[in-house]
Amino acid sequence: MEGFTYVDIFATKGIEYIFVICFLLLFVVFAYSTFKPKHKTLTQKRSIGDLIRQWFVVPEFLYYHQGHTWVLPESEKVAKIGLDDFAQKLVGRIEALKIPKMGEEIVQGEKALRIEVGGKGIEMLAPLDGEVIDVNEEVLKDPSRLMEDPYGEGWLLRVYSPNLRSNLRNLLTGRLARRWMDVVKENLFSRMDYNLGLVLQDGGIPVSGMAKSLDPENWDEIVKEFFLTKEA
Amino acid sequence: MRGEAQSIDLKKNVIVSVFSKISLLVFYLLGFFVLIAKELKPKGRVLTLFNVITFPIIILGISLVLKHIFEGLSAGSNVSQEFPWGIFIGFNVMVGVPFAGGAYALAFVVYILNSEKYHPIIRPTILNGFLAYVFYASAIFLDLGRKWNILNPIIGNEFGVNSVLFLVAWHFLLYMIAQLIEFSPTIAEWLELKKTKKILSSMTLGACVFGIALSTLHQSGLGALFMMAKGKLHPLWYSEFIPVLFFISSIFAGLSVVIVEGTISKKVFRHRMSEEYLRNYDDIVTGLGRGAAVTLFVYFFLKLLIFIHGKSWVYINSPMGFWYLFEVLGLVLVPCLMFYYGQREKNINLIRAAACVTMLGVIINRLNYSMIAFKWYLPLSERYIPTWQEVVITLTIIFTQLWIFRWVVNRMPVYGEAKEWEKEEAKEAILLGELGFTMADGGKPYMKKEV
Amino acid sequence: MKRREFLKIGLSFATALSLSGILGKRAMGLEVKPTTKEFYGILVDTTRCIGCRTCELACAESHGLPAPDVEDRTVFESIRKTNDKRLTVVNRFSVDGREIYVKSQCMHCNQPACVAACLVKAMKKRQEGPVTWDENCMGCRYCMVSCPFDMPKFEYDEAFGRIMKCDMCYSRIAIGKVPACVEACPQEALTFGKRRDILNEAKRRIYTDTGRYVPYIYGEHEVGGTSYVYISSVPFEKIGFKTDVGYRPYPEFTTGFLYSVPIILVLWPAFLTGIHHLTKEHRKGE
Repeated sequence: MEGFTYVDIFATKGIEYIFVICFLLLFVVFAYSTFKPKHKTLTQKRSIGDLIRQWFVVPEFLYYHQGHTWVLPESEKVAKIGLDDFAQKLVGRIEALKIPKMGEEIVQGEKALRIEVGGKGIEMLAPLDGEVIDVNEEVLKDPSRLMEDPYGEGWLLRVYSPNLRSNLRNLLTGRLARRWMDVVKENLFSRMDYNLGLVLQDGGIPVSGMAKSLDPENWDEIVKEFFLTKEA
Repeated sequence: MRGEAQSIDLKKNVIVSVFSKISLLVFYLLGFFVLIAKELKPKGRVLTLFNVITFPIIILGISLVLKHIFEGLSAGSNVSQEFPWGIFIGFNVMVGVPFAGGAYALAFVVYILNSEKYHPIIRPTILNGFLAYVFYASAIFLDLGRKWNILNPIIGNEFGVNSVLFLVAWHFLLYMIAQLIEFSPTIAEWLELKKTKKILSSMTLGACVFGIALSTLHQSGLGALFMMAKGKLHPLWYSEFIPVLFFISSIFAGLSVVIVEGTISKKVFRHRMSEEYLRNYDDIVTGLGRGAAVTLFVYFFLKLLIFIHGKSWVYINSPMGFWYLFEVLGLVLVPCLMFYYGQREKNINLIRAAACVTMLGVIINRLNYSMIAFKWYLPLSERYIPTWQEVVITLTIIFTQLWIFRWVVNRMPVYGEAKEWEKEEAKEAILLGELGFTMADGGKPYMKKEV
Repeated sequence: MKRREFLKIGLSFATALSLSGILGKRAMGLEVKPTTKEFYGILVDTTRCIGCRTCELACAESHGLPAPDVEDRTVFESIRKTNDKRLTVVNRFSVDGREIYVKSQCMHCNQPACVAACLVKAMKKRQEGPVTWDENCMGCRYCMVSCPFDMPKFEYDEAFGRIMKCDMCYSRIAIGKVPACVEACPQEALTFGKRRDILNEAKRRIYTDTGRYVPYIYGEHEVGGTSYVYISSVPFEKIGFKTDVGYRPYPEFTTGFLYSVPIILVLWPAFLTGIHHLTKEHRKGE
């Protein structure tokens, strides 16, 4: 720069800015792919999950209480109640059922049903408030119906529930219900230390009465934990 | 004959489809305008003290602005050949922009450092920041002598990449877009567009990172504008490190404004605030006070360092020297100590007072650069004193910004409760979090589609 | 197989060689073409100026500005500055009993601050030397803030004002004529030519006319050199010159900041993204 001709000290600035813009665009892509979390732990669990995904049926159109009972709204204020697939598989062969009679009141979240298996009695919570208007006599006579078709023929009660709408808000359905079932599965696995042999038959189907396989002595405690009726 | 009938049919179809598309568009536009018109109805009392004072000023200001646009700059403005920049640049831009610095400072804390504590205040701060930049960009527009050429640096006639002002102008533009993206999830929530909100929320981190980089540069860029005014700025203020000083001062200026604005909002917008926010408010203010204390402390020592580097003690014994001491000791060191004691004693009022003093300090600091220490050697008769019209227009800009802020806060979930479906989303997330499934990027866990 | 390998390597080597020849440095835009044009400049000899102000008149005429009343000598009673209606002024200074007249106008710096300031490149340093203003100007007046000599002046009275300053009659130079003021000066106080030549002329006058001049050429090195250079018989600070502008070109005051911009735009996103992911993982306890 001897001072007799023109020298542009900002000559490359334009190219530099364009270069920086290119960098930023590339960086977004690069950073995104670098920082995407690796699903190591998820894959591990997923493989087990894949195995048992088909085990517990969770129909789409039902509402579930976290104590493993289901609700099927039949009209504005009337709904059917039953036990879900997980519940019946957990306890195994039900010997007797004690359910509220016609006209009795049940309260959501309070103990309402009692099933008896292997001499032990397990209580379950009511999924909604209301008055019992119908009882499935067939199931009371033959509880195996429950095991065969827990959501259809195996229904337990029909309830008149004036608060049905607000009760349903506290229940799980659809996607949420499926995810809840995944939580439950996870809970189950954590207890068996991923040792599936305990709960699988040769065909890969869960043994009826998984709880007994987990803990022959205190299986009812496990069941009560799942049904949310464990005494504090 | 058949051919003719067919072509007539075809034409009819085209006309019908075009007509129906246009009428659909008109329908949507009408719907949008109806929404805005409905929302223009004021909520709350109309004749408040604030409204009564600000409304006539705004009306007057708008008429002055129109006059200003169509006549020359000399009508109603005291900018001169000696002082080319008046309060539109010297105050609205130079002061307004660091005041909006809270947006990027808090974005850093909440989105980069993942601090949940300050999450409740991020939305109003970004809203304020966005409005501030929009209005101060309009102040720049008003200040231009050849306004309609404002598009030139944007469209390429020409790209003056050699200029600091080019950088500042482009950063303003890009930063406004980044802030709009950061704030848009709130708008999507208001309009109940769930999918849009999800898309916009995923862009928040990128907008944030970009916004912070941009802010660093244009806050310091405003300081770099004065680098070529070497002989005109008093040596106590001129140094090679002006950009760094402007950047640091924008941090504590922004934090102070957040504190003051939060104080006012708490009284005015209490009905829009969630329980969680009100409970954590004092904690948040104390935390902000802590941040401000540290930044002011650092800034004070930076100023001291530059003072020593420039051997500026020779200038102290003069009127400008005393003014400099007042600015640095009274308006930097004093609020620093006030913040320090305020956060130690958890004295919210002391922190608020410190915030006010800090804001005053930043105002005076920026005015020094643009007007007071700028050509300090000229006698008062030749100095720049703003005209009443300029003051009114400045106030109009500020008040209009406050009005729009109020409009938005009263309608959109800026301070407020999450809507119903947000609560459900939160419930889901908790449920799934309990089982420890890896969360993809903190959002929804990766799940195969259910059979 | 060996032959194939050899051919492959040989071919690629040859390709690389020829490519580097074709896509040479020039194609990559890395070679800077040297300019052949040298700056013009104007030498102002303040010892020859008599204050007739004919230069002011000629300047106003050639730019379509209101002609000053050159007969009026009372204007010298105060120091005048250029403004949007007069692009050059002559001021009178009394030094040691003598009256010295100094013509002042834009200095047409080698590295102009106004050119570095302009965000639309309205201010251009021409290869021939003059610094000119163009119509794409926004009127932001940043050039006015930056100029060390305070020369750009804005037409505040107009709705669509212009920046006014001396343009060394660029349109006249383009067609081979000399600037209006140089042509008009009756005392040959103004000399137009290549900057190299007028600097030599200035040095020649100082060395041959011993005692007449102060041995200093104002504008030779000021702010990196200017196209308007001055020689005087008295020290320059006594005749209204700014002697504290320094020798560093003004654009270099902004390069420190401007050169750091791409660095920050590259580093900040990287640091911030990294910190975001580090603090997020830390909180989730992974």
